[in-house]
Amino acid sequence: MEITNPSTGSFSVSPLRKSLFAQDILLIGVSFVLMAFFIPLHWVIDFTIFCILVLSFDLLYGYMGRLSFGHVLYYGTGAYMASLVLLHVSRNPFLAIAAGVAAGALLAMVLGFIVLQTDGAPFALINLAFNQIGFWLIASGLQAYTKGEDGLNTTAGTLGFINFSNHPFAFGFFLVCLLLVFVLLKVFTISPYGITVRSIKENEDRVKFLGYNVFYFKWFTFVLSSTLAALPGTLFAVFYGFVAPTIISPFGNTEVIFAVLIGGAGNLYGAIIGGVVYKLMSNYLATNITRWEMLLGILLLIWVFRFRRGLTGYAWEWILRGKRKPAVEV
Amino acid sequence: MGEGSVDLLEVQGIDVAYGHAKVLHHVSLKLDQGEMVFIVGRNGAGKTTLLQTISGHLKPTAGCILYQGKEVHGQPVEKLARLGIRFVAQDKKVFSNLTVRGNIELASYATGEDLGQAVERLTRLYPKFQDFLGRKAGGLSGGQREILLIGRALVASPRLLLIDEPTEGLAAIVIEDIFRILMEMKQEKVSTFIVEQNLSVVSRLADRVYVMKEGKIIKEMVDPAEIRNTAELESYL
Amino acid sequence: MIETLIYGLTIGAILYFFSIGLSITFGTMQIVNFAHGMIYSLGVYLFLTFMALFGKIFPFALVLAIAAMLPISFLIERLVIRRLYGESLDYAIIATYAVLLIGADLIKWIWGAMPQPTSDPLRISLRFLDMNVPLYRLVVFLSAVVLFLALRAFFNRSIIGKIVVAALEDRAGVRGLGLDVNRYFSIVFVIGSGLAVLGGVLYAPIATAEPYMGFHILLVAFAVVIVGGMGNLTGTFFSAFVLGLVIAITARFWSQAADTMVFAVMALVLLKNSLLAAWRRVAKTVMGAG
Repeated sequence: MEITNPSTGSFSVSPLRKSLFAQDILLIGVSFVLMAFFIPLHWVIDFTIFCILVLSFDLLYGYMGRLSFGHVLYYGTGAYMASLVLLHVSRNPFLAIAAGVAAGALLAMVLGFIVLQTDGAPFALINLAFNQIGFWLIASGLQAYTKGEDGLNTTAGTLGFINFSNHPFAFGFFLVCLLLVFVLLKVFTISPYGITVRSIKENEDRVKFLGYNVFYFKWFTFVLSSTLAALPGTLFAVFYGFVAPTIISPFGNTEVIFAVLIGGAGNLYGAIIGGVVYKLMSNYLATNITRWEMLLGILLLIWVFRFRRGLTGYAWEWILRGKRKPAVEV
Repeated sequence: MGEGSVDLLEVQGIDVAYGHAKVLHHVSLKLDQGEMVFIVGRNGAGKTTLLQTISGHLKPTAGCILYQGKEVHGQPVEKLARLGIRFVAQDKKVFSNLTVRGNIELASYATGEDLGQAVERLTRLYPKFQDFLGRKAGGLSGGQREILLIGRALVASPRLLLIDEPTEGLAAIVIEDIFRILMEMKQEKVSTFIVEQNLSVVSRLADRVYVMKEGKIIKEMVDPAEIRNTAELESYL
Repeated sequence: MIETLIYGLTIGAILYFFSIGLSITFGTMQIVNFAHGMIYSLGVYLFLTFMALFGKIFPFALVLAIAAMLPISFLIERLVIRRLYGESLDYAIIATYAVLLIGADLIKWIWGAMPQPTSDPLRISLRFLDMNVPLYRLVVFLSAVVLFLALRAFFNRSIIGKIVVAALEDRAGVRGLGLDVNRYFSIVFVIGSGLAVLGGVLYAPIATAEPYMGFHILLVAFAVVIVGGMGNLTGTFFSAFVLGLVIAITARFWSQAADTMVFAVMALVLLKNSLLAAWRRVAKTVMGAG
C-alpha cells in the first residue's frame, strides 16, 4: 500500500500488491459507469479523455514537480497526427491512435532533451514557447497539410462492433484506456524508478549525490508524461472526427493545470477527481454564467491562498483526524 | 524579573530549534549598559544562532528575551533595528554594488543621522577609508569589509551591538586594526556582545565572558584575572 | 526597409517599457508576475475611455490612466504579490495568472469583446532619407532611451534606488538597518506598473486594443526578460530592441511567423549554455578523433 501525505508530499511505500489494483479499477470503472446514468454520455466520454490528459500532466507536475505551460502541445500533436493518418494513410482507427501516440513520443524525446536543460520559470516558459510554435505551425505554417483554422474532418473506419462513432463503444474503450493509464502510472510511481523521480522533486541535488543520472530520469518521465498526453488527443480525433487548432492552443494548459490543482497534485485519484470536477464546472457553469473566466480566476486565487492541497488533500486530513499518528514520513 | 533590573538585555531560558533539531537549550544571559561581553566556544556550539535570535532573525521556541525591560523575542528584524539593535554577521556581507559611502548612506538615511557625521566617524575608525569612499564596496578586502560593517552599525549610536566573529579569516595585522577599533568602542562604552574565537582579543577586551558548548552556557567568567589568563579560557572550551 | 526598422525600434521601445516591471519583480521577489499583463491592458482600456470622455486630449488621458492604475497595482502587490514571496514558483505563477484571467474577463464585461482601434495622435510625418517616418514612432523610441537613462540614474543615485539595489543582494542586511524592505519593493513595483501602462498607452495608437492583449504582450515580454537576463535592466533594454527588430523584420517577410520567431530566439538563448556545452563536447570528440 502506498501512502502519500498530500500536504507535505512525503511518502512511504510498501511492496506491490496486485489485488489492490482490482480495487482501484473497480472503483474508478464503476464510478464512471454510474456517472453515465446521470450525465449525458458524450460528456462522460469527454471526462475520460480529459482525465487521461490530467493524469499525464500530474506525472510531470505532481510527481516530478515540474510545471510546464506547454503540455497541450503533445495532446494536440496526437490529435493531428491521428487525423492526418486517417485522412491520408488508412481508415484504421487503431493505426491512427498508434501513430498519434508515437508522434507524441518522438516529439517529446527530441524536445525533452532541449527543455530539460532548464528549470523553474524558464522551464515553464520554454515549454510554452514550443507549444506556441506548434500552434502556429498547425494554424498557419503547415496550413497546406493541416488546413489551418478550418481544421481537419475525418471518418474512422468501422469493423463489426468496433465503431468509434458509437457512443457506448467509445465510452467503453476510452474507459479501459483510462484504467490502463491509471494502473501504468500507479505501477510506475510505486516502482523504484518512480520513487527516484519523486525524490527528484523533493531534493534533486541529493539524488545526484547518490549517483543517479538525474537528467535521464527527468527525460524519461517527461517523455512518458508527454506520450500519455498524446493518447487522449488521438482518442479525441478518432471520436469526434474533427480537429481544429484550438486543440493545441497554449490556453488549453490552464484547464489541465486547474484540474490537477483542484483534485490535489501528486495523487492519481486527485487527477481523476480534479478532471471530472473541472469538466463538470466548465460545462455547467460556462453555459450558465457569462463571467466564467472571472470565476475561474477567483477560484484559482482561493486555491493558492487557502486551498492548496486540493480535494484529496482535505479528504486525507479528514481521514487522518481519526488516527493519532500520521503516515510515516520518508 | 524584578523592578530593579536595569539590564540592557536579558535573555531568559531560550530554546531555539531548526525544524526538529534543537540548537539552543535553555540559554540565559544578560548584558548591562556599557559592557563588552564575549561569547566563546567551539564551532557548532550555537553562538551564531544565539546572536541571530537576539537580533530577530530567528524565533525562540521557548523562553523570552527582554530588551530595556520589554519583551522583544519573535519581533521582526526591522523593528528591533529601529529600537537600536545592530547585528554584524559572520559572513561580512556588505552591499557590494554600492560604494563605501553608499553603504553608510543607507544607514544614515534609515536613522536620520547626518551623512557627513556618519562618514566622519567611519574615517576616524579607519583613515584609509577617506580614499575609498567612492569605491564599490564589493572590491574591499575582508578586514575592510568588517570595518565598514562596524562603521555602518555604529551610525546613530546603536544601543546594542552584536558582532559575530569579527576577526575570523583575517590576517594578524588586520586583527590588530579590529582590536584597536573594538578597544575604542569599549572606551566609548558601546554595549556589545561579541562572538569570538581569537582568545587573545577576548582576554584583552572582555568585561565578562560566556562559554558555550553544545547549545548551552557552561560557564560565565566575571573575574578579570581569570579572563586575562588565556590558557584558563582555553581550558573551558 | 527603414520603415521596418523604425517599426521594430518602436515595438522594442514598448516592450522595454512593459518588461521593466516584469524584470524588476523577478529580481526583487523571484516571482514571475503574470498580473503585469492585466495592469497593462486595463490601463490601455481606461486610457481609451478617458480619451473618449475628455475630448481626446492625449496627455491628459494618459496621466489619468496611469493615476487610475497606480492604486490598483498597489493593491495587487499588497494582496497577491507580497503574499507569494518565498513561496514556490508554481503558486506565484498560478496566482498571478489568475489575476490576469480576472482582468481579461473584467475588460470583456465592461468594454465588450470587440477590439478597439485607435489612431496616430500626432499625425505628423517626417521626411527622412526619402521615407515617411511618423514622428510619433520616433518619439516613442526616444522616450525609451530617456527612460533607460533615467532608470540608471534612479538606481545609482537616488536613495530608494540604492536601497533596492542593496536589498536585492542582501535583504537581511537592509532590514538590519531598520528599513522595511517590502515597502521599497512595493514602490518599485508600482513604478514598474506605471511604466507598463505608459508603454501600453504609447502603443495603443499604432495597434488595437483587445481583451487578451495582456496575454500576448506578456508572452513576448517573457522572451525579452529571459534573453536580457531576469532582473537585469540593461540587458532588458537591449533585448527589447533586438526582439522588436526580430518581430518587425519577420513580419515584413512572413507576417504570421513574427511572434513565433521571438520564441525561437528565446529558445535559442535559453539553451545557449547547453548548446555551447554540447558543441564543445562534439568539438572535443572530433579533435580527439583527428
